[in-house]
Amino acid sequence: MATFIVRRLLLMGLVLFGVSVLMFCILLTFSPERRAAAFVTSPQQARDIPKIIIQYGLDQPVYIQYYRWVKEISAGNFGYSTVAVSPVSEAFMRYLPITIEMNLFSTPLIIIIGIWLGTQAGIHKDKAIDQVTRIFAIIGWSLPTFLFALLLLMIFYGLFKLFPPGVLSNSVEMFIMNNPEQFIRYTGMYVVDGILNGRLDISLDALRHLVLPVVTQVTVVIAILVRVMRSSMIEEMSKDYIITARAKGADRKTTCFKHARKNALLPAVTVAGWLVALSIEGSVTVEVIFNRPGMGQWLVQSATQLDIPVILSVCMFLGLIYVTTNLIIDVLYAYIDPRIQLS
Amino acid sequence: MGNILEIKNLVVNFYTYEGVVKALNDVSFSVDHGSTFGLVGESGCGKSVTARAIMRIIQEPGRIESGQVILYPETVDGNGSVDLLKQSEAYMEDLRGNQISMIFQEPNAALNPIMSIGDQVAESFLFHQKQILCETILSELSDGQHRPSKAVLMCLKTIYGKAADDGDSFFFKLLGSVPFLRNWDRRLKSVAIRRAVSLIGKLGIPQPERIVNLYPHNLSGGMKQRIVIAIGLASNPLLLIADEATSNLDVTIQAQILELLKILKKDGISSILLITHDLGVVAETCDRVGVMYAGNICEIADVREVFEAPLHPYTRALLKSVPKINQDDRLASIPGNVPNLVNPPSGCRFHPRCMAALPICRHEAPALVNAHGRHLVACHNSSVA
Repeated sequence: MATFIVRRLLLMGLVLFGVSVLMFCILLTFSPERRAAAFVTSPQQARDIPKIIIQYGLDQPVYIQYYRWVKEISAGNFGYSTVAVSPVSEAFMRYLPITIEMNLFSTPLIIIIGIWLGTQAGIHKDKAIDQVTRIFAIIGWSLPTFLFALLLLMIFYGLFKLFPPGVLSNSVEMFIMNNPEQFIRYTGMYVVDGILNGRLDISLDALRHLVLPVVTQVTVVIAILVRVMRSSMIEEMSKDYIITARAKGADRKTTCFKHARKNALLPAVTVAGWLVALSIEGSVTVEVIFNRPGMGQWLVQSATQLDIPVILSVCMFLGLIYVTTNLIIDVLYAYIDPRIQLS
Repeated sequence: MGNILEIKNLVVNFYTYEGVVKALNDVSFSVDHGSTFGLVGESGCGKSVTARAIMRIIQEPGRIESGQVILYPETVDGNGSVDLLKQSEAYMEDLRGNQISMIFQEPNAALNPIMSIGDQVAESFLFHQKQILCETILSELSDGQHRPSKAVLMCLKTIYGKAADDGDSFFFKLLGSVPFLRNWDRRLKSVAIRRAVSLIGKLGIPQPERIVNLYPHNLSGGMKQRIVIAIGLASNPLLLIADEATSNLDVTIQAQILELLKILKKDGISSILLITHDLGVVAETCDRVGVMYAGNICEIADVREVFEAPLHPYTRALLKSVPKINQDDRLASIPGNVPNLVNPPSGCRFHPRCMAALPICRHEAPALVNAHGRHLVACHNSSVA
């Protein structure tokens, strides 16, 4: 088990190296002038572009630039983000909690509701709960995220004025900006910080802003998990060992939950892990539409403005998330299924 | 000798997208106390469906339409009968694995791949012998070899005493849903595992203490089949249904398993319903044989009768198609195919392939009648019957 994890960690380094090389090569297909232009803020500076190119060595061969980048990265210097107007590492710490906060709510909901709904739909195949679940799954699966998000926004904000977009209400945000000593940003997540600072009203306000993004995220992502869980449950329920269990005298609850569900969880675990990674990355649309300054929004702006240090770092980070999730899934797999031996 | 099980006019249909599959069409037979009844027929003729109908574990989309499955559990002379098809699901749960149990054809698929062997065998004990297990624990507690503190002892005695009285009461349901406290039955499980070890050992598996901690994929096919048999035997059933229990095994293992069944029958199980397509196995083990074709019973007779003087044309053809070592000419086969049971042939379902078919066979299904002695046959052709 330990050797397995160590080997996978080593492999993780290899994967990250691959991701970085790939990203680097893609980004260097832009001309040095185009990349230098990212630093330019006024027309006067445009005259200095050749100088910038020479100063930062933007016209040097790829491997030299890559070597320089790796050297900087390993020294902990991730570059400067022109989009965030601050160093990448600093901006990272500002944007990441916003995304994590949303996923902290959506991920458990996706996993718990997804597996529960899938199980129920599988057990009660073709019954009412199955039909309703399937309809919802198809809606979540086929409706574009942005459309669904906009619909929610129209109804619950435009019509009922219930759940506004953004992260905090203006008044609360002003209060935090004006009194930084009264509201200490321990984690950067407002809901958690509100509790830690004893300001439940701020927590509640942040929660109110989280409702719609989380609902969108869950509805869109959960469909896949529900469908996988449902079909795998149906498959397991038709296997011979279920008949054996029933012939032993097992009641319905035991056959469904003790025998079938644990087996049915195997494919669902794969999908669930993948969905967790996906939803951290895929918060892009949700963050843009609900105006939440998280990783997704930052990545989109950086991509459109060619903020290369950000693109590189964020992609590396997402790669890291995927690889880690995969590792966790593999370990979980071995835990659930005795046929799988990690060695 | 009285019957232990009597099946009367059993009809089972499967409602598939293709149409209604008439899997069992008026099946009747009975199994004597203390005998082995063999049910033979080609694949898909409804043998397994019959077995599952008896246990009422037919899977979707199958449905038992009508008929009776009568069990005579109490006495050898046939008083105190129970029609299983009229009982509640709870009654059936109590009966399955306890009075009637079943062993399956595919040992690889019949065991839960992610549950340890010990747990799977112990489950039978936990379902049906909670009371005995609790009493064992209570006697061990008062024995006091590894004695817990007095308060804990009191608690344990109360709980297991209560569980011995009524293990399914509301109190235990409540206890089972409380985290941490739901582990009260840990001792129960360990006693059940101990019993599983001794049972597995009895079936001739070496190192049962080690086996119970393994998973199905660690064992060979023959071992797995023994485990499946162990599950079936856990509660000393009155009737053991062996559904092609030896079909997927090597011949040597098959012989071992059949030998095992014979021994077990001698010292315990009252009766066996053996389902197979292997006539050799039938000749070896059965007392009485029922021949099935396309959801019907064609012939029922004592095993010698069937092999020496078969009456039904299908039985004859079936026996002719068994290869013999000194046979020079081509192996006889039955012309035609097994009918599709969505649209079974009218009248006698065997008539399109029958060598002795009469005009009446086309539109009238023959009834199962007594030919002589205890030899029953369903055929119109009197020159046959």
